[in-house]
Amino acid sequence: MSVQNQSLHLLGSSHHVADLGIREKINLPASAIDEFYQGLRQLPGLEECLLLNTCNRTEIYGAANNGFSPNLLCEYLSEFRKIDYDFLAQHSYQHSGEKVVKHLFEVSSGIDSQMVGETEILGQVKKAYEDACTRNAAGKMLNRLFQKGFQAAKWARTNTGISKGQVNLGNVLCELARRIFGKVSNSRLLVIGAGDVAESALEAFKSRGSQAITVTGRTFDWCPLSRRKPDELAEKYGGFALSFSKFQESLHHFDVILTSTASGKAMITPTEVQLAMKRRPSKPLFLIDASVPRNIDEKVARIDNVFLYNMDDVSAIANENLKTREAEVDRCRHALAKKAIRIWEQMTVQPNSISSINQSVTPNS
Amino acid sequence: MNFQDTRDLLWLAGGLYGVAFFIGLLKTFKNNFSLFREAPFIAISFGFIVHTRALYFRGLDVHGCPLGNTLERVQFILWSLILAFLILRLLWRLDLLGSFCAGLSFFAGWLSLLFPSLDSKYWLLENYQRLFSNPWVELHASIAIFSYGIFSLLSIVCAMYLVQHKALLDRATGKLSSFLPPIHDLEHAAFRLLLIGTLCLTLSLIVGGMHWLRHPEYVTSIKLFITLILWAGYCLLFFLRCSNILFGSKFSKASIALFLIAMLSMGFMSSKDKSSTILQPQQTSQE
Repeated sequence: MSVQNQSLHLLGSSHHVADLGIREKINLPASAIDEFYQGLRQLPGLEECLLLNTCNRTEIYGAANNGFSPNLLCEYLSEFRKIDYDFLAQHSYQHSGEKVVKHLFEVSSGIDSQMVGETEILGQVKKAYEDACTRNAAGKMLNRLFQKGFQAAKWARTNTGISKGQVNLGNVLCELARRIFGKVSNSRLLVIGAGDVAESALEAFKSRGSQAITVTGRTFDWCPLSRRKPDELAEKYGGFALSFSKFQESLHHFDVILTSTASGKAMITPTEVQLAMKRRPSKPLFLIDASVPRNIDEKVARIDNVFLYNMDDVSAIANENLKTREAEVDRCRHALAKKAIRIWEQMTVQPNSISSINQSVTPNS
Repeated sequence: MNFQDTRDLLWLAGGLYGVAFFIGLLKTFKNNFSLFREAPFIAISFGFIVHTRALYFRGLDVHGCPLGNTLERVQFILWSLILAFLILRLLWRLDLLGSFCAGLSFFAGWLSLLFPSLDSKYWLLENYQRLFSNPWVELHASIAIFSYGIFSLLSIVCAMYLVQHKALLDRATGKLSSFLPPIHDLEHAAFRLLLIGTLCLTLSLIVGGMHWLRHPEYVTSIKLFITLILWAGYCLLFFLRCSNILFGSKFSKASIALFLIAMLSMGFMSSKDKSSTILQPQQTSQE
């Protein structure tokens, strides 16, 4: 069948219309995807299909002949996941025609994501597309749609500010470290404690190639024979474990020091930092105090070449970056909508034949 | 626009640097500003070609290296600054540094052109003797001015350091600070520039000193004094940085201050006293 006689359909559920509990019900387990595709391809009139299944969204893209009823997708998914049809309709959205193009552009560029501008979604869309190609489920129309979607995502990231600035705490710390030391992979990180922030920082530093990661914590010394968390963290991220009693005299070896303990008292004092700075005079020191109450005496910030940030500072930067991204969303959405119209016109030579099916159904409509 | 006229060409070169500077700013601060990526670099390169042509014509006029008045010295320093940037640009992609250099060349270049009194036409005097009768003196002057170009680049790097340093202390996340290089890299670059600049200035003093020993009458005592003070200042700065006594923001501030002093002392750097009979550009154009 020629592309001119086809139209696009989408059934999806995401964080916009369903909370986590509902998304868990709709989301497809990896083991069920083969079976889901088999059933999907049996739907009468559906010629091409693609499943995008991530933790935040489950979407079915389809190219069908003009006689296809989009409700079949909803019926099939509700049957497959054993969910009430009305319940699914209430927590999902359906688009057809040009709006599918626009939606895919928004999803792949990251402006539809929970964390606006995140880049992970593009990888997930690419993976879903490759999966559909491997199964021969995607044909001429979906191929074209998704290729255009990848181009649109690249355009949006290059030409708008939706991906500017880091919004994840670990990534914000890496960005700050980059502004001080240059390559994060060259800076030596010491993590004191083993909280969530510490783990987020370790993950971010490790993903940027940091080889010199050291972890220490009070529990490590309390019970050195049993494997406690700092030791586990060090092993998990390919770092070293340092005895807690020795970390204060080793401060000068590190470029970035993050404290995240529930100690309730200052572990790093101005005197210790001054001593450390004497041993590394012209090299800056980046300290992050992620503890409440604080673990680093705030007078430390007065020492030359020392940069002290606490969690409020880091969160404020993340929020500021998020606001900047959100301010760019409208501009990006508008530009992507224009692109979507143009692409849809190119995809369908006979606009009259698709006008009747160019519609959307959302829980609010 | 007369493409054979030094001043017209200098205005044009300054304008091209200005274009590069403003495109650089727009590219940094405006997300939706779309112009091809190399536009500022191309504008700087064209500016440099025009600048070189202007100094070449002035060199033909004065029959030597054009360093006879304040405008010529300022323009030669700016030319050296852009040359140093273009050499560095071969090694690293330094777009923002280019914008800063273009900005300084634009503002300082046009400012020096706005005051005709800075551009006395000393070579039109009846008793004009070649500015540099000895090639060693010409070498001394050109190396000295090149070292000033390096020091101006050092000041720009230090200014970038201070902007980044302040942004980090203020927890600011402006676009400028996110595009600026890391302070660690800026400090390294500043140290290397100080080393190169100090070596050039020392070499220039050695060459000039050899000539001065034979012809002390050519050098005014104020020039000698200021030159030695500046050289001692840069040597001291280098020593303090090397021994890790002065670093970070204090080093950057000291470098900028020393460069400003050097710039302010430019008016005292003439070799011969020609103050009584210098013709101003307006006078000469009437002739």
